[in-house]
Amino acid sequence: MSLWDFYARNSQEVLGLVGQHLYLVAISTGAAIVIGVPLGILLTRRTAWRGPVLGVANVFQTVPSLALFGFLIPLPFIGGIGATTAIVALVLYALLPIVRNTYEGVTGVDPAVREAGRGMGMTDWQLLTQVELPLGFGVILAGVRVATVVSVGTATIAAAIGAGGLGVYIFRGVAVVDDTLILAGALPAALMALAADGLLGVAERRFAWRGK
Amino acid sequence: MAGEVRGGRADGRTVGLWVLAAGLLSGCGHHDRIVVGSKNFTESDLLGEIVAQQIERRTGLSVERRFHLGGTFVCHQAITSGRIDLYVEYTGTAYTAVLKHAPVVDRDSVYRTVARDYLQRFDLVWGKPFGFNNTFAITVRRRDATRHGLTRISDLARLAPRLKAGFGYEFLERADGFRGLASVYGLRFASPPTAMDLGLTYRALADGKVDVIAGNSTDGQIEALDLAVLEDDRHYFPPYEAAPVMRQAAITRYSGVAAALAQLAGRISDAEMRRLNALADVEHRDIATIARDWLRASLP
Amino acid sequence: MTKPLEVQGLGYRLPGKGKGETGNGRLLVHEVSFTVGAGETLVLLGRSGSGKTTTLKLINRLLEPTVGEVRVAGERAADLPVTRLRRRIGYVIQEVGLFPHFTVERNVGLVPRLDGWPPPRIATRVRDLLALVGLDSDTFARRYPHELSGGQRQRVGVARALAADPPLLLLDEPFGALDPITRVELQREFKALEGRLGKGMVFVTHDVREGLLLGTRIGLMLQGRLAFLGTPDEFRRSEHPECKAFMAAA
Repeated sequence: MSLWDFYARNSQEVLGLVGQHLYLVAISTGAAIVIGVPLGILLTRRTAWRGPVLGVANVFQTVPSLALFGFLIPLPFIGGIGATTAIVALVLYALLPIVRNTYEGVTGVDPAVREAGRGMGMTDWQLLTQVELPLGFGVILAGVRVATVVSVGTATIAAAIGAGGLGVYIFRGVAVVDDTLILAGALPAALMALAADGLLGVAERRFAWRGK
Repeated sequence: MAGEVRGGRADGRTVGLWVLAAGLLSGCGHHDRIVVGSKNFTESDLLGEIVAQQIERRTGLSVERRFHLGGTFVCHQAITSGRIDLYVEYTGTAYTAVLKHAPVVDRDSVYRTVARDYLQRFDLVWGKPFGFNNTFAITVRRRDATRHGLTRISDLARLAPRLKAGFGYEFLERADGFRGLASVYGLRFASPPTAMDLGLTYRALADGKVDVIAGNSTDGQIEALDLAVLEDDRHYFPPYEAAPVMRQAAITRYSGVAAALAQLAGRISDAEMRRLNALADVEHRDIATIARDWLRASLP
Repeated sequence: MTKPLEVQGLGYRLPGKGKGETGNGRLLVHEVSFTVGAGETLVLLGRSGSGKTTTLKLINRLLEPTVGEVRVAGERAADLPVTRLRRRIGYVIQEVGLFPHFTVERNVGLVPRLDGWPPPRIATRVRDLLALVGLDSDTFARRYPHELSGGQRQRVGVARALAADPPLLLLDEPFGALDPITRVELQREFKALEGRLGKGMVFVTHDVREGLLLGTRIGLMLQGRLAFLGTPDEFRRSEHPECKAFMAAA
């Protein structure tokens, strides 16, 4: 059966899985931003925590997803089987690029600009919101972009914990050695990753401050 | 792993003997070693190692191990192209996946068909099965089995509407998997079964996130996690008996190999295979040691 | 009348390595005392690492003094909230430090906006200040810093420092990064501005000619101490070896 026949026959199911996939990516990336950006900012104010925090975020990245799921299943609230566990894992994977880029975006601001701001009597909050975040926005957005693109790919493993998404086709295809099924899951996931990369790339160029 | 195993045995005297034996064999103009393969999971590695050690100690031949090769397809390619001489295959897998027959439940007829077709089509010889049947195992927590008096899959039908099931993708997809099972036993679960990774279903079952899973009947986790396998009382699942598959050419060349392997026939029960798998997967014992201890105890 | 700046016994020691240990580090500024009156420009002259920039940062508390007292327009700097203190002190640095994502207008109006001035008043103030530093408001107000030359950028920097009409201005080698011609131009204009503004100024430089041109008094810093304090004429005649070394270089 060709891929197009497959899609034609299963259009409802395909759309459902695409929807689940988008949901997993949107929720997990959103949560990773809500956690990661403040955390990254905190590290610029408590530089001694930078090593340990980035180290831990780094370790999450290296834990294989099945092992991570195994740890999460017995946990209350964030564990079990289904979408919640998958989202928790995806958030943990997405944290590193967001935290790291937030830290780098904020600390990458020209020290003379920061000194001028402080020297003229800006509070730390004013310096952060009016100077450091606007100037670091492009770098932070680049981190969000990396996290989103990676999440689109990683979200396929949500199928291993009963959370659905396009990984369902990939896992089914692997189980019965059916290339069409594997492609049916992998192709839309790849297109979604490209689209996310393109859109956020445009946003990066549109909103990020440019100049010397 | 193979190098490690032989290195471990190689005190001065045996090294001398190996060198002598190798010299004699190569002097006869034959291949000097028989190549044993295995699939990429623990049970296949264990059986491959048992077979390898049995050949070594009964025939004195040198054995080269090519373990953890991949799935059925890879091993089949390897043996038909002569890269390996021997590996352990399952009758049901050969019957459906390699020979593409529709699933059949009768053990003997599956074995006979497989043995006949392999010889005719591939010049491969099936040895006698080891004894156990590694089929899908409908598994529940032992606690629940005791409380509700569950021993057979038919007992499950009346409870199913109150239970949650979690199955691996292979079980959900295969011709001899969930769909047929549900119709043969009339199973209707509370919600459609959750599709997830097979390894994670064990953990989900042990942690009470699901109530019914489909494992493999010889998995070590069944004992380790205190689970109970329900009897397939309507004989739905086809047999998956493990047996050595050998190249015809290798059997004629290496006399004594067939006899050595025949000694293993019927020696490993379901429970015994489960115990050996648990030694490797749960207690993380070395596969070569498990195989050596088992051979010493069972076939002194 | 209170003076814009009074500095008494100012000292600064780098923090020690260990936690809670103070006084283990190197002594960067020691026993520095001076006053700056309205309309007066004190030039802090010295070699690199002599402690002049450190002294400046101790005044607006970008560094906290280890000992000594700073009074700005009569009030003890240590008693004021640090942001309020800094908004009363104009600050100009060599790298200018204009906010690259703000227009010239927003850059100059920064401190009045922080202080909550009404927007029409800020607009008028910005227009006046740009005129004061020789920039046409209609041409430059809406430009971004990267659209300006180095000299124009530093004019904006000076205008920004003057925006909230602070009694005291701190300038850290403001013309140090400019080309020689622009530099002389700005020095000349600044000289003219000094008298009109009537503010107290502390001007850090290592260029003795610049110091003699712009300073009403010269403070020579040597290894963290104020080695000499006097008028430019007194400086020229001084027998202090470091003064003579600087005069020889002029």
